[in-house]
Amino acid sequence: MSVPDYMQCAEDHQTVLVVVQPVGIVPEDQFFRIYKRIASVSQVSIRDSQRLLIRYRHHYLPENNEWGDFQTHRKVVGLISITTCASAKEWPQTAERFHGQKEVYSSTLYDSRLLVFGLQGDVAEQPRTDVAFYPSFEDCPDVEKRVDDFVGSIFIVLESKRLDRATDKSGDKIPLLCVPFEKKDFVGLDTDSRHYKKRCQGRMRKHVGDLCLQAGMLQDALVHYHMAVELLRGVNDFLWLGAALEGLCSASVIFHYPGGTAGKTVARKPSISQPADAGKRHRPGALTANGISADTSTEIGRAKNCLSPEDIIEKYKEAISYYGKYKNAGVIELEACVKAVRVLAIQKRAREASEFLQNAVYINLGQLSEEEKIQRYSILSELYELIGFHRKSAFFKRVAAMQCVAPTIPEPGWRACYKLLLETLPGYSLSLDPKDFSKGTHRGWAAVQMRLLHELVYASRRMGNPGLSVRHLSFLLQTMLDFLSDQEKKEVTQSLENYTSKCPGGMEVITLPDGLKLPPVPFTKLPIVRSVKLLNLPVSLRPHKVKGLLGQNMSTASPFIYSPIIMHNRGEERCKKIDFQWVQGDVCEVQLMVYNPMPYELRVENMGLLTSGVEFESLPAALSLPAESGLYPVTLVGVPRTAGNITVNGYHTSVFGVNSDCLLEGLPAVKTSGCLVEVIPSLPRLQLSTSLPRSAYTPQPTSKEELSSTVSVQLFNGETQQLTITLENIGSEDIETLELTSKIVSTKEKVFGEFLSWELEEALSHLPLKSGQALTLTVSIKVKLDFSGQENLLQDLNDDGISVTGLPISSPLRQVLKPRPENKTVSSESGKAEYSHIKTLEAVLNFKYSGGAGKVEGYYRELSLGVHVDVEPSVFFTRVNTLPATSTRQCHLLLDIFNPTEHELTVSAKNNQELVLHASECQRMAIQVDKFDFESLPQPDQETARFTNPKQLEEERQHLSICTKRLHHVALNRTHPSLRRHGEASVEGVLNQLVLEHLQLAPLQWDVLVNGKPCDCDVIADCKAGDAVTLEVQLTNRSKNSVGPLALTVVPYQDFQNGVQNYNLEDAVTFIGSNTFYIDTVKPKENSVCVGALLFLYTGDFYLKIKFQDDSAGRELPLAWFTLPSVHIRALATPLQAGA
Amino acid sequence: MAVCIAVIAKENYPLYIRSVPTQNELKFHYTVHTSLDVVEEKISAVGKSLGDQRELYLGLLYPTEDYKVYGYVTNSKVKFVIVVDSSNTSLRDNEIRSMFRKLHNSFTDVMCNPFHNPGDTIQSKAFDGIVSGMMVQTASYT
Repeated sequence: MSVPDYMQCAEDHQTVLVVVQPVGIVPEDQFFRIYKRIASVSQVSIRDSQRLLIRYRHHYLPENNEWGDFQTHRKVVGLISITTCASAKEWPQTAERFHGQKEVYSSTLYDSRLLVFGLQGDVAEQPRTDVAFYPSFEDCPDVEKRVDDFVGSIFIVLESKRLDRATDKSGDKIPLLCVPFEKKDFVGLDTDSRHYKKRCQGRMRKHVGDLCLQAGMLQDALVHYHMAVELLRGVNDFLWLGAALEGLCSASVIFHYPGGTAGKTVARKPSISQPADAGKRHRPGALTANGISADTSTEIGRAKNCLSPEDIIEKYKEAISYYGKYKNAGVIELEACVKAVRVLAIQKRAREASEFLQNAVYINLGQLSEEEKIQRYSILSELYELIGFHRKSAFFKRVAAMQCVAPTIPEPGWRACYKLLLETLPGYSLSLDPKDFSKGTHRGWAAVQMRLLHELVYASRRMGNPGLSVRHLSFLLQTMLDFLSDQEKKEVTQSLENYTSKCPGGMEVITLPDGLKLPPVPFTKLPIVRSVKLLNLPVSLRPHKVKGLLGQNMSTASPFIYSPIIMHNRGEERCKKIDFQWVQGDVCEVQLMVYNPMPYELRVENMGLLTSGVEFESLPAALSLPAESGLYPVTLVGVPRTAGNITVNGYHTSVFGVNSDCLLEGLPAVKTSGCLVEVIPSLPRLQLSTSLPRSAYTPQPTSKEELSSTVSVQLFNGETQQLTITLENIGSEDIETLELTSKIVSTKEKVFGEFLSWELEEALSHLPLKSGQALTLTVSIKVKLDFSGQENLLQDLNDDGISVTGLPISSPLRQVLKPRPENKTVSSESGKAEYSHIKTLEAVLNFKYSGGAGKVEGYYRELSLGVHVDVEPSVFFTRVNTLPATSTRQCHLLLDIFNPTEHELTVSAKNNQELVLHASECQRMAIQVDKFDFESLPQPDQETARFTNPKQLEEERQHLSICTKRLHHVALNRTHPSLRRHGEASVEGVLNQLVLEHLQLAPLQWDVLVNGKPCDCDVIADCKAGDAVTLEVQLTNRSKNSVGPLALTVVPYQDFQNGVQNYNLEDAVTFIGSNTFYIDTVKPKENSVCVGALLFLYTGDFYLKIKFQDDSAGRELPLAWFTLPSVHIRALATPLQAGA
Repeated sequence: MAVCIAVIAKENYPLYIRSVPTQNELKFHYTVHTSLDVVEEKISAVGKSLGDQRELYLGLLYPTEDYKVYGYVTNSKVKFVIVVDSSNTSLRDNEIRSMFRKLHNSFTDVMCNPFHNPGDTIQSKAFDGIVSGMMVQTASYT
């Protein structure tokens, strides 16, 4: 007996063994169908108080049958043969075979049956008890009935044998029962010795006990076993003593655990066990039938004979120790161990069970075939599982798996190995779902788990399923990354690459034939992603919502503008909508911070975004991360193709040939600020290019990214530069609207005039601008800054000797010019450092444009162009002064002009006076300017208040060009022709109150007309001597008050140009009428004219001075208002010809 | 004395495992791992009957052909496992106990380290030293 039946359990001792075998050729599936039907008759009740349990086997070694005397449940007592027989001709042959088969088990067989399928006709008609004929495998309704009858007949034989043995108490010689290996030991032994007799008796008692147990008479069995133990103990027949003890244990187990100890492995119908239980309760009836005296205290007796649960284990231990003495009883010992373990499992005494198992491991059964080894390890594993030792179970299962592919096996069973390995997974608390590992750090027996995974990989590869190996290897790499050494990482990845070259890894679930599903393994650690951030579009492409067009979004959320109660939905931060928009058709970016945990360069291919909600075209990227890289920013891009809300769910990668879809929800370690963003319909795109070079300057209050580009130019103060801007539509949508605004970046500098000016109408006429078209726009940059504001300059002005006077100066250019050396040096040294510093002026040009579907939704885009101008001072007016001109309507403006540049420059005023200024030179220039009046200005009510507010005046007058100069810079260095530049300088900033007063026209305007011609300043009025000359004096009152009455006296005189004036001209000039005019009160905005006449008696140059009569009326008005021009009249001789 | 010493967390994952370098390390991993079955069994059995007054020393967990495996469980359910060579018969139960006590004391020191994060693997040099001490003796004996 060499093959143990690991499935045995204690209650198998009460069953009878029936072998069901095919005879001849029987299709396997048909055989097992019939076998199943037969096996369903596992229990037959006989005489309503007894029942017989049957164990069916379709395969049983005759060798084992030889141990039938030792333990009767090992004895084959019934044989059911199944055969097919097509014709009557074959029948004798079939019958012969059946008999042959019976021969095999003939020594132990009680009864046999033959089931013949397929035979019909005469032969089938003959009534035979041991043969049943069925036309086909399908048509055999009474198989169960037949088996039932058959079992009944077996029971009769069993019962008779039992009674036969039980009553065999006479002095007849009791035969010695023995196991096969004992037979030769007893040859020649004295059969008459008391010792021998006792041995025979004991063995027979034990045998009867077995029969009783099989016949369902538990109580009797216990009694017999007890007796057998006593007898055999006396003669030191250890093998049989062990058997008797085991029998005692089995009977007790059957009593204590009617549900069985085999667990789920042998399915016993509970409905059947119920009557079995009921049967036991009515044992007394059976006892009387056996002829043993009826005992009223059977219950007490049973309790006495039956072992307690603790005793069962003790006895098992004892029995096993006896078995252990015999090398040939190894199988018996092993089976006893297994049975004991099952009992202990029921008793939940796992530790003791493990000791039995530990013992079982060491039982040597001699040479085992590989298959037997596998079976043995598997069963050990199963038993460990049964007692809750999952780790130990896994260990043995793994050993079994390894045994399947032992090198000694010619055809390794990789499939079986793989299957067994999979079963070990729970024991090593390893699940093949990577999700179970994503939570926190890995905690487990990494070394052991890694080994197992390696084995799975290898087994699956040898099975010829590379897809499976890739999956396992990916799993190994993903979950055990922290435990792999650098060398191992290298090896694993290399083999992974090898496998994937044949079978790329994907994201599909692999389903094994036995239904186990292997979830995909996304490589979330290769590379590790730390944060995911959706990026806004670049500023120039960001959409802006037209305010108030579609109502406010805010108002829907709450009626309050502000509420301290924030309505945030906790938790789902990832679903939070981000407060910017993406635009359909435009490239959108998501920034990931990744790092490579590998000790070598990691190549990530086909890295892209996983999104939902909107049709999204992901543009995958390939990256190569250096070994053990730190955080590394990676930008993934894509283009939304439709509008709506888009959610970024994750990213996909391809590493080592394995495609992974990594979802963010499975990665709690990833930081993200929301993944939901709105995509709005498409908008056009503008590209801007300028005629000026770009620069890196950024206006201070704005950040660089807000400007799409910046141009920078360096200008001298007063210079004007044209900036040509080309706008090209590079998007797909037409541009339908375009607006342009400018904003000067806040500066402390005072800017005169318009810094940026443009004409948009021409550009707008090109709209709508089709895709690919361009339009140009010219913007003028004009810089006028006040460089003279420095304190020391003003002081410089004030302590200058020249003061402003109201005196007329006959020669306007007399001051051209005494250079002031002392002033010049000051300027060149201290001044230069201060004046030559460059001022900057910055502005932002904003283009708003819209079009396409986005415009319908109320969105537009902004494009900003920064304009940065470095303004270098060109000329300073260090001092400004006025001198009255000869005409009352004009005056001279005296300007001390300083050239702070390093270049020579030419200054020219409007009347083309040119002045060359060398670098750091200061010169004075006089310009004749027309006075102007304040009439066009809004005037304060009080005249006195008017002058207290010169600053305001200045501002009001900004648009007035008081004085214009043309500057002409001439480069010293001829190699720099670019310096041929020109600009304008304005005195607006430097005029002070005093100067203004002089520049202002008097409110009373006097006009003198000679012969109807206006006569002023240097205009010489011609007249003929002897003719009357009309002199008209006109007063226009522009002031607010009435003026007058006034008296004017006209005094003629002659100027000899040498300082002598001759007023004695009574004989040369005569007045026609009075030489004094009276002007009545002139009301505001009115004028008054007084007319007189003169008669020049001689030719010559005459001057007329119009004086005010010293009038009684008080002089409330300033004298300057009453300056009248002197009139220069040249009297010519009357042409004689005409007179003649 | 010992050929393998392991510290196992409450959740049954190894905090520390060290074995004689000359032998197959994985084998000891398997040994210690499977011994946890017995440890768990013993804890659950004792826990029911004696409550909190149990002994920390679990005694021999199971013998194998070559080794004997001893177990010890702290009150916080951290397990210590010591594997000794079966051939070393001179080793008494008391000596094993004292080894466990030493190990426990050292482990307590490790836990007292404010920079140690409970649940992390033990990387203390002092602990390493104690363990080495127990293992080194093996070399002198055999």
